[in-house]
Amino acid sequence: MDLLSNLGLGFATAASPENLLFCLIGVILGTLIGVLPGIGATATIAMLLPITFQLEPVSSLIMLAGIYYGAQYGGSTTAILINMPGESSSAVTAIDGYQMARKGKAGTALAVAALGSFFAGTVATLLVAIFAPPLTVIALKFGAAEYFSLMLLGLVSAIALAHGSILKALAMVVLGLLLGVVGTDIYTGTQRFTFGITAYADGLSFVALAVGVFGIAEILRNLEGEQDRTVLGTKLGALWPSRADLKAMIAPMLRGTALGSALGILPGGGAVLAAFASYTVEKRLSKTPEAFGKGAIAGVAGPESANNAGAQTSFIPLLTLGIPANPVMALMVGAMIIQGIVPGPNVATDQPALFWGIIASMWIGNLMLIVLNLPLIGLWVKLLKVPYHVLFPIIMAFCSIGVYSVNSNVYDLYAVAAFGLLGYVLLKLRCEPAPLLLGFVLGPLLEENLRRAMILGRGDPSVFLTRPISAGLLVLTLLVLVVVLLPSVNKKRAEVFSESD
Amino acid sequence: MDRINKADFTAGLLFILFGLCFGASALGLEMGTTLRMGPGYFPMVLAVVLTGLGLAISATAFRTGGEAVGTYAWRGMVFILGAPVFFGLTVRGLGFVPSLFLTTLIAALAGLKLKPLYAVGLAVAVTLFCTLVFSVALGLPFRRFGPWLPIMGG
Amino acid sequence: MALSLKIAALAAAAAFAASTAFAEGYPDRSITMVVPFSAGGPTDTVGRLIAEKMSADLGQQIIVENVGGAGGTLGAGQVAAAEADGYTILLHHIGMATSATLYRSLAYKPLEAFEYVGLVTEVPMTLVARKDFEPTDMASMVAYVKENADTITMANAGIGAASHLCGMLFMQAVEAPIVTVPYKGTGPAMTELLGGQIDIMCDQSTNTAEQIKGGTIKAYAVTSPARLDIFPDLPTVAEAGLPGMEVSIWHGIYTPKGTPAEANDRLSAALQKALADPEIVAKFAELGTAPSAAADATPAALKAKLEAEIARWKPVIETAGVYAD
Repeated sequence: MDLLSNLGLGFATAASPENLLFCLIGVILGTLIGVLPGIGATATIAMLLPITFQLEPVSSLIMLAGIYYGAQYGGSTTAILINMPGESSSAVTAIDGYQMARKGKAGTALAVAALGSFFAGTVATLLVAIFAPPLTVIALKFGAAEYFSLMLLGLVSAIALAHGSILKALAMVVLGLLLGVVGTDIYTGTQRFTFGITAYADGLSFVALAVGVFGIAEILRNLEGEQDRTVLGTKLGALWPSRADLKAMIAPMLRGTALGSALGILPGGGAVLAAFASYTVEKRLSKTPEAFGKGAIAGVAGPESANNAGAQTSFIPLLTLGIPANPVMALMVGAMIIQGIVPGPNVATDQPALFWGIIASMWIGNLMLIVLNLPLIGLWVKLLKVPYHVLFPIIMAFCSIGVYSVNSNVYDLYAVAAFGLLGYVLLKLRCEPAPLLLGFVLGPLLEENLRRAMILGRGDPSVFLTRPISAGLLVLTLLVLVVVLLPSVNKKRAEVFSESD
Repeated sequence: MDRINKADFTAGLLFILFGLCFGASALGLEMGTTLRMGPGYFPMVLAVVLTGLGLAISATAFRTGGEAVGTYAWRGMVFILGAPVFFGLTVRGLGFVPSLFLTTLIAALAGLKLKPLYAVGLAVAVTLFCTLVFSVALGLPFRRFGPWLPIMGG
Repeated sequence: MALSLKIAALAAAAAFAASTAFAEGYPDRSITMVVPFSAGGPTDTVGRLIAEKMSADLGQQIIVENVGGAGGTLGAGQVAAAEADGYTILLHHIGMATSATLYRSLAYKPLEAFEYVGLVTEVPMTLVARKDFEPTDMASMVAYVKENADTITMANAGIGAASHLCGMLFMQAVEAPIVTVPYKGTGPAMTELLGGQIDIMCDQSTNTAEQIKGGTIKAYAVTSPARLDIFPDLPTVAEAGLPGMEVSIWHGIYTPKGTPAEANDRLSAALQKALADPEIVAKFAELGTAPSAAADATPAALKAKLEAEIARWKPVIETAGVYAD
């Protein structure tokens, strides 16, 4: 069979001692840098890109890919331990992962995240190998109207992220959308809401927003009353998931993998949506939706699987079309070009060893990660024993470096402080940051595609309904809206009588 | 227990404030038509929706009853938020090493538990570690000592 | 504004430092090359390739620093305000010339804030369309576009991007107002072209070469004065009947105003040597471009190019009435 011989070639390439070594170096470097607070995959790759330029093309790409998954693992670790997501997908992990850590189940959360990621990575790698070309065709069917409908679906699902007031969650989404449109309007070049600061012309930094509203707000809350409160550093609890925990994570893991694999292929916000969508699905299907936001295992297993599956399948458009699906993939394109490989539809036929080598290395990299990370969980959890008043200055130092290193832009650092304040105030007012973050990521995409769809559709809004994929997504959006809102309306009624919480 | 839920009420006001600010700012932008939406179209719609949601949240505050907002970490806000700002202001002028050292020290001041000497020790350790990792090992293009320090410049 | 104040203060400090800092034996420490775009982008690629070779000749490392944002004007502004000691250099592309008109409130004056080192390379562009676009050659395509102007859509990578400049020239050449659809960068635009969501676009040969070879998009012409080695069958715009539509994304190296001529000349010599290196020639060829000739890799040639290009694009941009701020 073709696939077998191709995979054989891939594994032969990826398993050469040299490439194994670079894969290992990549995942270790990625994990180490990713685990530093405030530094996610994008910042990590941007930082480490130059050191890969001296290597052979295959080795260099294998190492970069390793850094990518490594940083994602590392990013989830900080999200769980100190509520500091390095990127949008681990923002979802932070919701329940951090609550688990506060309850002394940090080890379990980390293990669940690692196992979920590994499973998802394995499945998604297989999908990439088998379905890369046909899946690409689907991704190409997505035009502006389809993207708009997909983003809308994502936003509606944000309602489920909230475990408090739905109104507040909606307001946070809208505020996030507004913050997302700050910067230059690509259609007219007009500067919007930048206060005349050119440094914000490309929009506010995502890393700055995530670090500010999640991490810094959390530090400030922990400083209230100055009593090293919360469970951090007090009880560590069991390191490993119990049998019941493992059982509870299987279904969410499977669903998360499916969602992530499907959405990861779409260029743009696909992989981001996957983690959020998985959380929504799990909360909806759960028998105990009230546990979400308070440390539900499914709330960690699902999104973590989804985000890792999405991370793998986002290589599909890169490998088959030469088109980057996200900023990290754009950096990979840069790395390929500097190595003299121009990514495009011919890479698979012209450079089979490279193409299949990368795919095989994905699985090897994931295997290495789990082997490395499971024993390390004990070490990470011990970090929680470091007294908080020693930990937070260190966190602040890393955050400052991480945010600055992405674009050498000092205004991003000022944005961190502003978002830290905003996040803290909103936290005090019982508004949750996750919907804000989702809105921020989707805001520019939503507007861009809405306007593009209107231009391409000659100003006729019916394009959203006449194009079948778009119409299907809109129907799904409506369904989600009904399903999400109905029970909460009923619950409201119930609360009036029971007067709880 | 207050009659009004202060957290909800304030949150509502905050959203209204944001809505009005963005809305007012969007007034200065072109609205365009449905075919060619201007840069102000989408933000204006959002600003109106946000203001509306803010109003609704404030209104519910009168129905739900109060819960305490608690104390604010004023000292923390000054020093924690000041740290990245300080880093931004000085990283180019002072250079990476002195700027990071002072940034860590400022952040350490946010807590009351850390004794001054320990704080200095911590800042030294963090600076040393970060310089080795980011500047030496990863070769990030940071200037270790900046032009504001003439003797060490270069 | 706070920013311009700060830049002024920095510039003053830099001028003072420059008078004392330049020493014999330049360079005696590492040089920072500011690339005003993100790491991994096409300009960054050119910068890193050339920096490595120039380092070898200078005997000092050139460290690439990516200062992205606002169409390259942030990084350029940073270099304009840097010490003029020869240890901070800027690699910028055609955006240096167009930003002079596109941005009405730049913190620096492109023609006055820099000294020149030399041209690095000129990357040509290609005029491409979705693969099932009807016209078969450039002449029929122009006729087709004129006839169906109101249904044809043209992608670009945002205001002031090379694809946008090329598009403006194309529209002025065919005298038809096509519907333009901006994207965030050429990547997403190419995806939609591949998917047939949009009809035509201009993009640099670096991005289109593989797609054209793979038959996933249709090419009509190259915007260079001569045909490209990688596409011997593809006519130039002049051959195809659209003279004056030549566009290239030219890259040059600059230093802050006041940098001693010795430093610029030394850098220029290193640049010429690097551009003649067979490895650079080979790598540039893979990118669909070629290194600039030694005669162009000089301060005088870059200065002339910048002046000519600013003058060329000013009316084009003003006619279109688009500004980036």
